[in-house]
Amino acid sequence: MSPKRKFLLDLIDKPDEAFNICESELGPLRLAAAQELFEERVQQIPLLKHRAEEAGISRIERYEDLVPLLFAHTTYKSYPASFVEKGQWERLLKWLDALSVPDLSGVDMSGVSNVDEWLDRLWAADHRVLATSGSSGKCSFLNHTAGDQDNKRRHFKYAAAWPVQAASKDRPVFWMGQVKGPNSAVEAGQFAMANWGREGAIFTLTQEPLRISEVSRMAAMRKRMADGSATPEEIAAFETESAVKGARGNEEMRTFADQVLDHRHEPIYLIGFWAQHLAIIERARERGIADGDFHPNSIIGAGGGVKGIPLPPDYKERVNTFYGNVLRPGLYAMTELSQPMPRCERGHYHIPPGLIVLLLDDSGEKLLDPVGLQSGRFAFLDLAYEGRWGGLITGDKVTVDFASKCECGRHGPVIHDSITRYTQLGQEDNIGCAGTIDAYIRGAIA
Amino acid sequence: MNAVNQTQISRVCHIVKGEVVEGAELEYGPAHARFTTPALKLDDLVWSRQAPGPAFDTPLDEILDILGELGRWLERDPEGLVRQALENAIRNNPMHPRVMQRSYEMMPRIFDRERLMVQIDNELGGKTAVDGWKPVTNLLSGRSAAMRAFPARILHIIAGNAPGVAAVSIARGAVTKAVNLIKLPSNDLFTAPAILRGLSAVAPGHALARSFSAAYWRGGDDKVESLLMRPQFFDKLAAWGGDATLRSAKNYICPGFELVSFDPKTSISMIGREAFASDELLAEVADKAAADATLVEQLACASSRYQFVEGTQEQADRFAELLQQRMGTERQLASAEGRPVPGHLREEIDGLRVMPDYYRIWGDYSGSGLVVRSEEPVDFHPEFRVVNVVPVKDLRDALRFVNVATQTVSLFPDERKIELRDLLASAGAQRVTCIGASGGMEGGLAHDGFLPLARLVRWINDEG
Repeated sequence: MSPKRKFLLDLIDKPDEAFNICESELGPLRLAAAQELFEERVQQIPLLKHRAEEAGISRIERYEDLVPLLFAHTTYKSYPASFVEKGQWERLLKWLDALSVPDLSGVDMSGVSNVDEWLDRLWAADHRVLATSGSSGKCSFLNHTAGDQDNKRRHFKYAAAWPVQAASKDRPVFWMGQVKGPNSAVEAGQFAMANWGREGAIFTLTQEPLRISEVSRMAAMRKRMADGSATPEEIAAFETESAVKGARGNEEMRTFADQVLDHRHEPIYLIGFWAQHLAIIERARERGIADGDFHPNSIIGAGGGVKGIPLPPDYKERVNTFYGNVLRPGLYAMTELSQPMPRCERGHYHIPPGLIVLLLDDSGEKLLDPVGLQSGRFAFLDLAYEGRWGGLITGDKVTVDFASKCECGRHGPVIHDSITRYTQLGQEDNIGCAGTIDAYIRGAIA
Repeated sequence: MNAVNQTQISRVCHIVKGEVVEGAELEYGPAHARFTTPALKLDDLVWSRQAPGPAFDTPLDEILDILGELGRWLERDPEGLVRQALENAIRNNPMHPRVMQRSYEMMPRIFDRERLMVQIDNELGGKTAVDGWKPVTNLLSGRSAAMRAFPARILHIIAGNAPGVAAVSIARGAVTKAVNLIKLPSNDLFTAPAILRGLSAVAPGHALARSFSAAYWRGGDDKVESLLMRPQFFDKLAAWGGDATLRSAKNYICPGFELVSFDPKTSISMIGREAFASDELLAEVADKAAADATLVEQLACASSRYQFVEGTQEQADRFAELLQQRMGTERQLASAEGRPVPGHLREEIDGLRVMPDYYRIWGDYSGSGLVVRSEEPVDFHPEFRVVNVVPVKDLRDALRFVNVATQTVSLFPDERKIELRDLLASAGAQRVTCIGASGGMEGGLAHDGFLPLARLVRWINDEG
């Protein structure tokens, strides 16, 4: 890794210092590191080169220079869905290659029959490609290297529960996601176990690996339902299968909730989605367990996107009241980011030195002035990545406080804990006669 | 000063049974487009079933006279209301100002007597069944009977992407003598009230004017819709539907409260191998295909988005290049320059540049026209004058991309419509036209697979 980037990334080994460096000191270092990274990547990634040429950017001298070079999160799923549907694995590889730094062309894809095998081949060749869960029906694929993963694990070790607790491998870890599979949530679970878990006291909701082909199979089925090539009996079988899976998931959740509740009087490490915490609360009610009955040194994390899951309006309050006075670190994380931002005592997210946060206007085109409180679209350049270009525009709306000091006393700027998705902001009810009605014919409406 | 103007709050009025209701009790909209409305009084927005609607027995001729007057009033715009609606539409709509202006100029024609009579003849079998009970004399039993296209109680949820939608909805409600409540879309808060004020201006206190109300509430607001969308108050929900509209409306559809859905559609073109007979012909076909694609700045359901070309990839590329060149042409319902392609779409298209073997792109993001050629239709929805050209060996290979969401298929050459029209209809398409004629939607023909006037009345029997 290039030296200026490495210097910034290594600062995380001392998180109390890393999260307390003033902007005037960090700014020039970050820009220099960004230039160092750009110079290298622009030769390696054709899309970055295209962007740079189009915007006439040959050097990174100001943060503004980075804006036209950011990729949309959709870039990492820009392959045609037909590659997966038709099993055109060589083409999919070629697509990923064009977004990757390492050369993937040598990975043998002969005999691959589904997307999991395609990912397995890449991993076997040490290309640690992460896939998103594809809630929209299409998975993103993001390449990262073994070194990227090591850096990320280190970042999690020092930042995941900062500033409330330093990681030590001495507590039961409860992980509510999957533990095998090429996915960032799985990776986070592995990091949690590696960084916090006591020997013999690691509990997981399921041992089933995350199957990406399952996700694409479901997406393909939804597409077939939409274009009318699925028969009524195929649709019935698909719906039954979904219902069975749901029921099995409920049973597993109940067993898992019992294990959590049985350990509630010792310091545990428990991370899950909001809906899963609500399921634990439901089980606790059945067992007559009162609110606030957890060991105060427990680390409890709740979060994750709420991606269309119906939750009661007071879900946060319910979860917080139930666990009571415990340690609650918070992390602003996403698949695309290898250096998530931890939340301070005052509830604000602090930015690690190796991450350049770029706050853009709603349309993602202009950098907002770094003064006072500003809300806009969250974009960043993650200086850590060796496997791909780390510059990205997200779909998140965030508020950044550009004041030189956070309320916690450390240097800013910081991001407020009020992150929303642009798509969730509530579509203004503009109605037009043009569009797609896939949703209706897919049966989602009826 | 600009900033001040942008944050100015618009005042939207309601129309309640022909009367203008002003007020600013409620406030809505995103920060850059706030607007106020009067308080919503639901009791005033329904008509009791205990009495016939005001215009149920008004002769059609009288209604057509008033509508003709209304058309002239809209042209004259004596109170500047049409201009205000136009200005607002230009502010809140991605459509090019000149195209929006021309759309407004075309609006009065919707109320022409001759034009409306063609619709009544073709869709309702003439005015006899509208004005009274039309005898049915050919029953096998020999019984005497009569049928009436009886006026309905209609809740309209209209689209705001083109002013014609408000005008067409009002014209349809008027000639069927219905009672009409129009739910205003937030992207066109002014056109329907302006037309209805015109109606009251040319026929003050008339039964026809009293048959119309227009109000805004947030689409999908349960507190409003669960109370209004009941068969006790309305027979029909005439919904120009976005996804959210129908998602909400489906909760209320029940026997007695019927959905008449003008749902969002996609349109396509098919270019047969005959187009490659000569360079001149190919250029001509590309020009017409460009007209279909840029129709209403590609904001309409009839605007062509995917164009299937019968030929090799090289042939498709030749067509795509000519198509892109012709897209930046000023036409009646298209500007030459368009509006810049927004970020989300640019990102999608930039993503395709990663794969030059698979995709080829002509044009830039200025908005005048961009063409993507790919082996399979792209996964995103082409808009902002973006066309996806897909080569196929045989036009029949494109049929698998046609479904019930496909409205218009514009086709070259004309004679191949005969070979393809049944197959297209069978796959779900609703309209087959010659290439270049996607925009020729005309009253008196079916719309989205049905005859709107026939669906907007209740067919009632008087049986002997």
